[in-house]
Amino acid sequence: MSQATMGSEMEPLFRAWSYFRRRKFQLCADLCTQMLEKSPYDQAAWILKARALTEMVYIDEIDVDQEGIAEMILDENAIAQVPRPGTSLKLPGTTQTGGPSQAVRPITQAGRPITGFLRPSTQSGRPGTMEQAIKTPRTAYTARPVTSSSGRFVRLGTASMLTSPDGPFINLSRLNLTKYSQKPKLAKALFEYIFHHENDVKMALDLASLSTEHSQYKDWWWKVQIGKCYYRLGMYREAEKQFKSALKQQEMVDTFLYLAKVYIILDQPVTALNLFKQGLDKFPGEVTLLCGIARIYEEMNNSSSAAEYYKEVLKQDNTHVEAIACIGSNHFYSDQPEVALRFYRRLLQMGVYNCQLFNNLGLCCFYAQQYDMTLTSFERALSLAEDEEEAADVWYNLGHIAVGIGDTNLAHQCFRLALVHNNHHAEAYNNLAVLEMRKGHIEQARALLQTASSLAPHMYEPHFNFATVSDKIGDLQRSYVAAQKSEAAFPEHVDTQHLLKQLKQHFAML
Amino acid sequence: MAEVKSMFREVLPKQGQLSVEDVTTMVLCKPKLLPLKSLTLEKLEKMQQAAQDTIRQQETAEKEDQQIAH
Repeated sequence: MSQATMGSEMEPLFRAWSYFRRRKFQLCADLCTQMLEKSPYDQAAWILKARALTEMVYIDEIDVDQEGIAEMILDENAIAQVPRPGTSLKLPGTTQTGGPSQAVRPITQAGRPITGFLRPSTQSGRPGTMEQAIKTPRTAYTARPVTSSSGRFVRLGTASMLTSPDGPFINLSRLNLTKYSQKPKLAKALFEYIFHHENDVKMALDLASLSTEHSQYKDWWWKVQIGKCYYRLGMYREAEKQFKSALKQQEMVDTFLYLAKVYIILDQPVTALNLFKQGLDKFPGEVTLLCGIARIYEEMNNSSSAAEYYKEVLKQDNTHVEAIACIGSNHFYSDQPEVALRFYRRLLQMGVYNCQLFNNLGLCCFYAQQYDMTLTSFERALSLAEDEEEAADVWYNLGHIAVGIGDTNLAHQCFRLALVHNNHHAEAYNNLAVLEMRKGHIEQARALLQTASSLAPHMYEPHFNFATVSDKIGDLQRSYVAAQKSEAAFPEHVDTQHLLKQLKQHFAML
Repeated sequence: MAEVKSMFREVLPKQGQLSVEDVTTMVLCKPKLLPLKSLTLEKLEKMQQAAQDTIRQQETAEKEDQQIAH
């Protein structure tokens, strides 16, 4: 008996439910549409379709935290403009506790060491100036920032509407919200549809406030939803009130996470940490709470505490990708590539199969002296690269392998290829300049270094190299300016201090 | 003793890179481990890609319609 004939015998609503449970949301929605054409007032089909459409575009709200330029520049929520060290995410302590120095571990534009795991909010280090804000990459790769946090959601919303030819499934402006708020079960599904699928936060907030009124403020779920709406609208203090009130009624892990998110955006990491620990008292060993603590420590540049909590996470859940990746990168940059290799191999065993992982495996293999696996890993990484930026990074790292084995020609080609794939790869420009300098091409090296330092003013390498080159050819003024920039980017760098001292002596003699 | 000393002469290599203490050398940027992406980020990017594709498709379809109409 074929599946089709069996399916046609089945009750349509039951079949739609089955599709929904098997996460075949498009099929489920189509079937519901057919049912609704026959009987437009079928509530079961209507609610099922709303849920299927929601699930299609559902993303965990806890993880979503995209700050646009507008939010970053015009931020009025932070309590102290000049916070005390160790109490703010904006101004991570300049002395890194326990982590490797900048000379070993590359940093991001925000001045943090690069992390082993990328979330939507990972890159949200706040830039100081408008220019920096525009330049700060929003994901690891794309250099283009979103102009406002709602931008992405609006675009996703319009796209989902475009795909249905006869207009949106539910015409929101014609909904009688009061009527729906009387039916709690329907209202919850409808709320999720409005919030996630249509991205109409204001409408969702209206429905949630009517519903919470109807439940006589006794349903914690609605309070959390109101809090979510306030958060999206940027009313963080109001959101905090709702989450706190919900926590009083019913302690839930989710609510702890949402409330911590509010504190993080208000730049109060210590409060968030306390909240997480409070949550851990109620839910001992909860992975998401432990992971939240680790993330905050990592953002505050306290990598030893972060590693401790990531290890705690792995004790509870030994397949936690984020924890494995972060511990792995920590080991790599603290000069233990063979330990890092074990962590990344574990990820491979677990079925993670992408460009990033093979690139990391290749690097770890090389530095752990397992040369047989190095090039094959990089080949895999190149074949798995999904976009130009990923390929550029792989070629860049391959260039390091070439430098390591002393093949300068290959290194030259690798860095060139990195630049072909991504014209804004500042590190590749810098390394290419170093190679050019070894060949004695001073002018080319200077041009490359200038490009690198204008692309990534937060890195100290191009500034320092430019200062060295200028010093060699006797351009002391430029050398001094570049050395100062290098010192600003990396104050503890000994060679820079040395160069500056030398230059000052020169100037004093004049 | 003086005879023995004269047998050894100082050798300074002229080719290849010569490392001498206290001379500032240029620094390379460090190798970069690539961060893995979270599931949410992957889903977001996939959804955005799909959204852009549908919009582009519809735009080209509209353009074709207009050309036929003219």
